[in-house]
Amino acid sequence: MSRIVRVTLAVTLVLFLWHSSAHDVITTPITFSREISRLIYSRCAGCHREGGSAFSLLTYQEARPWAKAIKEEVLERRMPPWGAVKGFGQFRDDQGLTQEQIELIANWVEGGAPEGDPVLLPKRPDFAEKAAVAAPPGIAVEGAMALKSPVTLAGIRPGNVAEGSSLMVTATRPDGSIEPLLWLYNYKPQSGRAYWYSAALRFPAGTRIEVSPPGAGTIALLVKQGRPNQIRR
Amino acid sequence: MSIFRALLTVLAGLAALFPFVVAQTVPQPPLDYVCPMDRDVRSAGPGKCPRCGMSLVVGVPDPVEYPLDLNLSPRTPRAGDRLELTFKIRHPKTGAPVTQYQIIHEKLFHMFVVSQDLEYFVHDHPVPLPNGSFRYAGRLPKPGMYRVLADYYPTGGTPQLTERTILVPGGGLQPAKLGPDLTGKHTENLDVELVTEPPQPLAGFKTLLFFRVRPAEGLEQYLGAWGHMLVASDDLIDLIHTHPFLADGGPQIQFNVIFPRARTYRVWVQFQRKGVVNTAVFTVPVSVLK
Repeated sequence: MSRIVRVTLAVTLVLFLWHSSAHDVITTPITFSREISRLIYSRCAGCHREGGSAFSLLTYQEARPWAKAIKEEVLERRMPPWGAVKGFGQFRDDQGLTQEQIELIANWVEGGAPEGDPVLLPKRPDFAEKAAVAAPPGIAVEGAMALKSPVTLAGIRPGNVAEGSSLMVTATRPDGSIEPLLWLYNYKPQSGRAYWYSAALRFPAGTRIEVSPPGAGTIALLVKQGRPNQIRR
Repeated sequence: MSIFRALLTVLAGLAALFPFVVAQTVPQPPLDYVCPMDRDVRSAGPGKCPRCGMSLVVGVPDPVEYPLDLNLSPRTPRAGDRLELTFKIRHPKTGAPVTQYQIIHEKLFHMFVVSQDLEYFVHDHPVPLPNGSFRYAGRLPKPGMYRVLADYYPTGGTPQLTERTILVPGGGLQPAKLGPDLTGKHTENLDVELVTEPPQPLAGFKTLLFFRVRPAEGLEQYLGAWGHMLVASDDLIDLIHTHPFLADGGPQIQFNVIFPRARTYRVWVQFQRKGVVNTAVFTVPVSVLK
């Protein structure tokens, strides 16, 4: 092999390896600036920001090193730690990601997690603290119970539920109709949140509230009206 | 000079081998036209999405979830009895009923219903009512949980895929236990085979699903696409609706899916041939990268 060819091959190999290691191959038009930043601002930045309870993901430089971990966490539905499966109860301020949002993040990371044009970044969110909603009286449910009097539910709050566990809560009315109240998946007790229904749910006396599987945990029904002590087990 | 020429030659060869590497350094025109449904499909000019057939548009708004109320009549569904489902969609800010929708895949509203044991599958189209709601009449065959996926596109918003749950009294809430099933299927007028790449799909990584259909003669687009796919996890948490990544009316149709978790997934894929809709069902085990 001539010296020219050897030198050429060596230089080319070095150039190629340098290029490959310096950048992931970009195979997606989805970018941080256009799409991902909007999701992070609306779903993650409450905690993941300067002064928040977790490391910041607000800028591309901060988020990029975490890209693969972000993908894994959202696909496994561990993040954001909303915990409630969509479509099993309808909640106000639902912080869960839709399936399409999850796919968008996964495709961005799989496609090399490009930054895109920073001109397209949205306005940074306002992190003004929201006033905590005063918790109404609660009815504790462990296993199953029947309501002794009519109840209007404003929300529901997990009680003693182990980290990472899953459970469903349903309400069966005396006419046999079943209302899905809450489906927890990969629950994180640290969130300590209550889930507030987008519209209050009314249940007549005799409605059976059930946690499934039995023994998976306890929940509290957050009552808007009615007398919480009048319950029948 | 000889070294320079040789370098150029080798670099040109590398560029041919790895076009994506070079593509990063070539300025691209702004890809402002976006498919509202497949948001990774972009174009510098107007056109149709090659995957789903929707018109590419400029300035797709940020996705916002629209509240959807699903009402049942009768309120207590009974297995096998007639049941009406009414879907009422409200504006996310005003709460006012939405009355204007864009057509997606030739319809205003698509609905998928999947039973808890993943044996029952429906892809149908509730009819619009004068007040902007949609209604569907059908029968749910057995007790238990059903997940409903509503697919619609409110005017001024973005395409929506909204999940809801119906509970038919008398059933439990345990997830299905599914064994893998990747064997070829004979459907109405097609034989459908599935090959995945990688052969063992991995959670979190792209899986290519190659469907080979025979006979390919007479294949037609069904609702504006060469195929429709619904993917459901065995616990009914992941519900993915997608269209072919590559298809041209020939015998091979490729879908790309990132299976979210290491679970078992049921896949329903629909193709149309000579006016007949074929639905083939496969069960794909997904493992974790070790």
